Amino acid sequence: MKLEVKNLHKTFSEKEVLHGISFQVESGKALGLLGRNGAGKTTTIRILMDVFHANSGEILLDGKTFNQKEHKIGYLPEERGLYPKKKVIDQMIYLALLRGVPKNTAKENSLKWLKRLEVEEYADKKLETLSKGNQQKVQLASTLVSEPDIVILDEPFSGLDPVNSQILKEIVQSLIEDDRIVIFSSHQMSYVEEFCENIAIINHGDIVLEGELSKIKQEFGHNQIVINSENMSVQQLNEYLCNNLSEEVTVTGIKKEYVIVSLKDNISKSDLLQKLIDNNINIEHFENYKPSLNDIFVAKAGDE
Amino acid sequence: MKNFFNVFKFELSNFIESKSYIISTAIITLLIVVVMFLPNFADLGLGDSSDTTSKTESGSENDVEDNNEEESGNTYIFYDKTSMFPTEEELNSQFKEADIKWKEAKSEDEVKKTVEKDEYKAGYVITSLTDYDYYVYNKPMFDSDTPIIEEIMKNIYRQNYCDNNNIDYELVQPLINIEILHNDNILGKDAAESYWYCYALVIIVFMLIILYGVLIATAVTNEKSNRSIEVLVTSTNTNSLLFGKVFAGTVASFLQIGIIMFAALGSYKINENAWGHALDMLLKIDAKVLFVFAIFGITGFIFYAFLYGAMGALVSKTEDINKSAGSLQMVIMIVYFLVLFQMSNIDGIAMKVASFLPVSSYSAMYIRVAMGEVALWEIIVSFIILVISTVLVGILGAKIYRMGTLRYGNPIKISTAIKAIRNKEHE
Repeated sequence: MKLEVKNLHKTFSEKEVLHGISFQVESGKALGLLGRNGAGKTTTIRILMDVFHANSGEILLDGKTFNQKEHKIGYLPEERGLYPKKKVIDQMIYLALLRGVPKNTAKENSLKWLKRLEVEEYADKKLETLSKGNQQKVQLASTLVSEPDIVILDEPFSGLDPVNSQILKEIVQSLIEDDRIVIFSSHQMSYVEEFCENIAIINHGDIVLEGELSKIKQEFGHNQIVINSENMSVQQLNEYLCNNLSEEVTVTGIKKEYVIVSLKDNISKSDLLQKLIDNNINIEHFENYKPSLNDIFVAKAGDE
Repeated sequence: MKNFFNVFKFELSNFIESKSYIISTAIITLLIVVVMFLPNFADLGLGDSSDTTSKTESGSENDVEDNNEEESGNTYIFYDKTSMFPTEEELNSQFKEADIKWKEAKSEDEVKKTVEKDEYKAGYVITSLTDYDYYVYNKPMFDSDTPIIEEIMKNIYRQNYCDNNNIDYELVQPLINIEILHNDNILGKDAAESYWYCYALVIIVFMLIILYGVLIATAVTNEKSNRSIEVLVTSTNTNSLLFGKVFAGTVASFLQIGIIMFAALGSYKINENAWGHALDMLLKIDAKVLFVFAIFGITGFIFYAFLYGAMGALVSKTEDINKSAGSLQMVIMIVYFLVLFQMSNIDGIAMKVASFLPVSSYSAMYIRVAMGEVALWEIIVSFIILVISTVLVGILGAKIYRMGTLRYGNPIKISTAIKAIRNKEHE
């Protein structure tokens, strides 16, 4: 399956909040939808889930208009919520039935996912009696209770401790391996980096970066070098490069332990290395820059 | 449709499995059954009840004391300033059969003081044959004391007048006190007979709408406040959600009132002789009226339940429900009072109009059926109007529910909601 979002526009009270969002995701791959608070991630997801209607644009599944009612979708909304005064198992069965799961399978699936998320002991307890973390796990279990082909998780890791995050990581990994479409938004870049082959960064309602993460990293790090020196601090090295090698490089970033520079046209890595040696810089570290997703995100969605 | 039943079953279980529902139904039903069986075990003073005739014949001291107390409760004190009033002995002899006793006071002050001490039921100071002062400690709503003294005074006045004008009082007395007898031959309906149960049914359906309407609105608002609404609207369509909720509320409410009414009518049927048929006016409901009440009451309830559901969707906090449902409750109150006040004018234009308007026909029509003359076509037309209005209100309610799904924060005005629906701006 291939889900394509094409040129979505959405206006609230005469203010356009999405200015043409486009991305695509295939079965067996996960898409990380990234963006700062208020960037438009949740609105995009809500349009995907038919909670909102887009003013224009289209969503296609395998080339045909995507009708949410025809597919099993597991949706974990950003605003978590179930029935606090109902038993966990009762509301899971109810949600499974609403999503078209047969009655006899609904209970089976509910118990399976509760067990998978290690909260099966709370099946007969009222939701409000559970800790926040366990409530979050019940919410995740109810998202997956219908064995969906498409899983959309809005900030799935928020509220989970490291142990529970690990359980969720394993589940997300298995969903991907099961050839399902997985879309999830998160501020926690490490998780996105871990699962997602593709990312889409939304900033102020626009897609500012979209594509395969490995290629993005490659392109983003292209022609950039990480340098540090044994005889200079990072700050001294930065000043030195700016003052003495400005024709060869541009400093693009300063980290705690190294400086990132971008090579100018017609300057090769060897040229730069030679210049540094010629200038008696005692090089400790010299390698291609491999940006983290966090670096890419900050560069693309940070303050202009 | 399948999801409508899933929502219906889930919401119905929410209603009927709640402790408050079970406890209130059980307690009210039990109380009613106990009250209905009470005349079998205690004398409720129901007049011709079979039990009241079987009083003990043993003349114990306690019985004598009780009788004395009862007698003092039927004793009047009087002070005659005219010297024309009958004596204490004459009056006691005259009222012996009526079980009323008289005591002549020595002064006006004695009348006042003894009545104040509650020694006599009431006191009279006769100042002339057409004028007297009445003393009573607590005056009841329906005073039966003054007609007694006035009848005595009228008789003395007439007798005195006859004596002064040489008329034989014995001769004219039958003329003055002529009693007109009549037989009731009601060819249509006796409004007095159905008045009280109609009154009770108006109150019942009003209470059901208010109580369960608010519960349905609360159920909708709770889904917004606990944020489960987003999961629900992405799992099924909003029509199933609202219709399921409203029909579940309807079944729960009429099940509860059905159990209570069944217990009341059933236990009264068993004990109607013990009650001396005293509650016939309230509990002997004509089957046709009960049927019209059921179909109009249930449909009218659903009509308002949809509106309450929509009002619930306009707010995000349960404490704000009264803000959004205030105007709806005002309409319900106006209808309630209009119908109650018009029960004495059942064939008036106001009642006729009210019996066709969907906001009021749920109670006005069955009252007209119970107490007045209504053609079958009128009942059918009124019911069709109510059903169509209910469906339209249901569709509108579902749209408002859908529109209000993710609008958190301040309550949404109904005008804003309708405008948003018109603009198809589902934010």
